[in-house]
Amino acid sequence: MTAPAVETFDPAQGRMTLALDVGLYPTDVLYGAAYVFIDRAYVLLDRDESAGKSGRYLVHLRGKAPLGEADLRAMAGEFGNELLSQALRRKIVKANQKIIEEIATQAIAGAAGGALPTDFLAGAGDDDGLDFLDDPLGIAVPWEEKFKKKKDDGDKEGA
Amino acid sequence: MGEATAAVVVRLHRALYMQQAIKEAAEAFAEFASFAIARDGGHYAVTIGDIDPHADGDVVAEFCNFALYHTMQRKKKRL
Repeated sequence: MTAPAVETFDPAQGRMTLALDVGLYPTDVLYGAAYVFIDRAYVLLDRDESAGKSGRYLVHLRGKAPLGEADLRAMAGEFGNELLSQALRRKIVKANQKIIEEIATQAIAGAAGGALPTDFLAGAGDDDGLDFLDDPLGIAVPWEEKFKKKKDDGDKEGA
Repeated sequence: MGEATAAVVVRLHRALYMQQAIKEAAEAFAEFASFAIARDGGHYAVTIGDIDPHADGDVVAEFCNFALYHTMQRKKKRL
């Protein structure tokens, strides 16, 4: 993508106009970049249909605080960077759209309590005849009891 | 309002600004100025008059930012 061209530059008034090719930058990308600047600059978007095949976007920027020439040039560069960043973000979102949707669906279903693992549901009807207090593996037996038993056995063997 | 300044016409491109968002912005700034929205070819021509000279900041520019912000919000909701 080419960088936006500086159409007008007026450091005395702290304003400038950038021109971008409509065919290169989708509207979403332009909005995304404008959104980043909206808190520190007055942004006015326009479209010039007379230029080229698809026309140009014109971005009029004026700092909310007084800006010097260097600040204004920096802002133009930052806007160009932000356009690229937004374009890349858009590309990544598009490429991972399915994954994002799937994760979001699972998260929402999980939060709603609707998505239990299928093996969990399949095993829900099984009844092995055990009560929740049963302890076939002896997990609930205190360590001291287990140890004492073994020790007693050892004493007997020793005697 | 004190002495109001002369009317200003702002042209907002119809492909980039939504009419509803412009109306919303006009309502938000109604106490600082009067707004008249009309279609003018590919643009909305917004005539901003009776601008309160004592209003803090640039009413016209703030209005434009507001209209742009609301357009973005509305387009985002549509997606």
